[in-house]
Amino acid sequence: MFGFLKGLGVTISQLPKKKVTVMYPEEKPDYPERYRGVHRFIPELCTVCNQCARICPTSCISLSGSRDENRKLRIETYDINFDICILCSQCTEVCPTEAIVMSDTFELASYTRDDFYLDMHWLHNNELEYERRHPDRAIPETDVQKKAGN
Amino acid sequence: MWTWNNLWHWAGHPLSWPGFVGMLVGAVVILLLALLVVMYSIYWQRKFIGWMQWRIGPNRVGPWGLFQTVADVLKLLVKEDVIPANVDRTLFLLAPIFAFVPAFLVLSIIPFSAHHVFTANIGIGALFYVAISAITIHGVMLGGWSSNNKWALIGGMRSAAQMLSYEVPLGMSIVGVVLMAGTLNLNGIIAAQMHTVWYVIPQILGFIVFVIAGTAEMNRTPFDLPDAESELVGGYHVEYSGFRFAFFMLTEYVYLLAMGGLMATLFFGGWAGPFLPGWLWFAIKIFIFFTFQFWLQATLPRIRQDQMMSFSWKLLLPLALANLVITAVVKVLV
Amino acid sequence: MALTDETDLVRTEEMLLNVGPQHPSTHGVFRMVVKISGETIIEAEPVIGYLHRGTEKLAENLQYSQCIPYTDRLDYVSAMLNNYSLVHAVEEAMGLEIPDRAEYIRVITMEMNRLASHLIFFGTYLLDLGAMTPFLYAFEEREKIIDMFNELCGARITYNYMRVGGVKFDTTPGWLEQVDAFVKRMKGEMVKYRQLVTGNEIFLARVHGVGAYTTEQALGHGMSGINLRCTGYNWDLRKKKPYSIYDRFDWDVPLGSAGDCWDRYILHMEEMEQSLRIVEQALQQIQPGPVMAKVPKLIRVPAGEYYSGIEGTRGELGFYIVSDGKDKPYRLKIRRPSFENLQILPIILKGVPVADMVAILGSIDPVMGEVDA
Ligand code: SF4
Ligand code: SF4
Repeated sequence: MFGFLKGLGVTISQLPKKKVTVMYPEEKPDYPERYRGVHRFIPELCTVCNQCARICPTSCISLSGSRDENRKLRIETYDINFDICILCSQCTEVCPTEAIVMSDTFELASYTRDDFYLDMHWLHNNELEYERRHPDRAIPETDVQKKAGN
Repeated sequence: MWTWNNLWHWAGHPLSWPGFVGMLVGAVVILLLALLVVMYSIYWQRKFIGWMQWRIGPNRVGPWGLFQTVADVLKLLVKEDVIPANVDRTLFLLAPIFAFVPAFLVLSIIPFSAHHVFTANIGIGALFYVAISAITIHGVMLGGWSSNNKWALIGGMRSAAQMLSYEVPLGMSIVGVVLMAGTLNLNGIIAAQMHTVWYVIPQILGFIVFVIAGTAEMNRTPFDLPDAESELVGGYHVEYSGFRFAFFMLTEYVYLLAMGGLMATLFFGGWAGPFLPGWLWFAIKIFIFFTFQFWLQATLPRIRQDQMMSFSWKLLLPLALANLVITAVVKVLV
Repeated sequence: MALTDETDLVRTEEMLLNVGPQHPSTHGVFRMVVKISGETIIEAEPVIGYLHRGTEKLAENLQYSQCIPYTDRLDYVSAMLNNYSLVHAVEEAMGLEIPDRAEYIRVITMEMNRLASHLIFFGTYLLDLGAMTPFLYAFEEREKIIDMFNELCGARITYNYMRVGGVKFDTTPGWLEQVDAFVKRMKGEMVKYRQLVTGNEIFLARVHGVGAYTTEQALGHGMSGINLRCTGYNWDLRKKKPYSIYDRFDWDVPLGSAGDCWDRYILHMEEMEQSLRIVEQALQQIQPGPVMAKVPKLIRVPAGEYYSGIEGTRGELGFYIVSDGKDKPYRLKIRRPSFENLQILPIILKGVPVADMVAILGSIDPVMGEVDA
């Protein structure tokens, strides 16, 4: 008969419970290492193998490279049309050298679509930012050299 | 002979200019008071419900978000005043006034403190409340009708049906108290309770009916069908925006205040209480009523239209009548 | 003379009411054109297609592994099951052997996802009925689940976690313990939900006997999942056509009897408990091992037609693959349970009050991403 009284008891008993919301812009959620935010890109590592561009389901990666004096391929432009990227992380999965990786940047709102055209410069900056935020997750400089070397 | 005292006790004297000024000042003060109370009851509602839902509630504007509702009211006031193209213009403009004025009017008889500064100590207080508050239905109905919106129309019709059918048990439950006190004057009722006990004890049945019918009368959960967000998108005020919408909101919360005052007066001894000043007692009692309403709002789902109607006519009304008969019989016998 | 009699004393008119596509209770961009007389619905016609993205057509130009992220977007509140349904269909077609650990992780994530989805049902259904607090409680628990998924696969909603042959990542250290702790906590929460909602008289009065249909009607409309089981028809693909490793667990299929909103509601609650049971057992049985089978780099499904259905959150979720032996499907047809379940709406909405409309629609629990695909 008075089942709703139980319900009233439930709600009132929650009063002293710890609050679960966070003060968002000041206090950001801590995203795990696997989190798929906007990409970051390490130009030194890229071997211009084009696999990322081929696997991308929405074809939003376009890249170009050229051979340097040692006949080694160097990346020249690397653009992600973030407008249509679905953050599926397929590109990072196939990249043999982990030149393209996901970061935990997630605040993407913008006033114009142009801002979503992410070029190599932006992506590389994102990488630097990421390393600053997570010094423990950064790839050691020596590793980058080594990988880039071979 | 006119004295300063007359300024406050104008009810017992012929109307004089200073008395009129006193009335005016009183009305303005009550209006401001009502605004303040409404703003902070909304604030408390958000905080309280937030806490029950593991949230913090407003916390950005001012310390602990204290100015959040102030900011909201300001926002509503400076918003563009939109009158949709195909509405019935006159009625559309009149409806919020129809809704709000009675809400404010009923405050005039609520005895806020022992000396009931600023309010009318009229002999038919309880009756006045029931009579005037019924006018609001017109505002709500007209608002729904004139909006030229199907959702608003359904909302308006629901409100009319609901408020009308709950007006009856509400009135009946008040009659029980009136019978016991032997007066319709609200201060008289308080005085009568001071000699005996709070009427909530002998009139427990009437009290229950009063609370339920009052909740329905104010369109609050679980009887918030007229503005059922998830069904009617917002009900009768769906086409209103800006300060006209603010008026409807204000109406709702002023009624909350008035109903709280009425309940405190009829069943909980009004301003009477030991140690603390009368107005504080009154405020405490109203605050508890508010909290109870918000608590219900946080917990209960919405009742269905047809169930709500039959609940009123088939359960509440007989209960109220039974209470009335019992009260009368006991009164004659004792 | 009763007022409801058709007399010429009062002239009444029917009103055509557009519910949606933007309406708080249509669970997405769904539109219903209802004809009402007073507060009674005399005709209802669902209009869909506002969220159509052409997934099936897109898939024809995508490799199988590229299709997986698109399935996330079908039933976006239970993406794990969609992922699984596709990779399962491909695996069946290719006759792949899946490592044990991968299967266990799949089952754990799928059941957790089912739980998360049912939590959404619980929350939004009560929100439809006007109670707002259960919504926040339910979402808090769901938040815990998707935070765990976030740690596991890097996304909160669109997981893209399953792969043909296994799963993308092994669990992170401590992840299984987290799940275990969550399962324990969730059991307590279920008790709270019961107290808060299931016993509430207002709620009971709103759902009992509302929106009822019979088994024949349900079968006739191709309904499945809870919407079919609420009529008492025992049909759960996890039991009837066991796939993955569901036959290794001990659990029950809760059944309804009346086929009304109440049955659907309570079945959701009971299924949540069954999911917890399955997860609990899976956590005990899971062993270390590889999470990915040996699969060719380019996945080619042998030419032919394949269908495989799993028990999705909302019913039988099936992927029908027509392959001509290439790395892309020739045609991919998705059997979306929400779409089939929705078909009964015009029939059960006839003659009910407007207030019951949202109660009925909510109890069928459609997800528009899936209906429109
Ligand atoms: S995340 Fe997916 S959609 Fe975005 S660039 Fe990488 S492969 Fe393309
Ligand atoms: S980013 Fe990686 S996958 Fe893409 S071209 Fe460079 S090395 Fe290849």
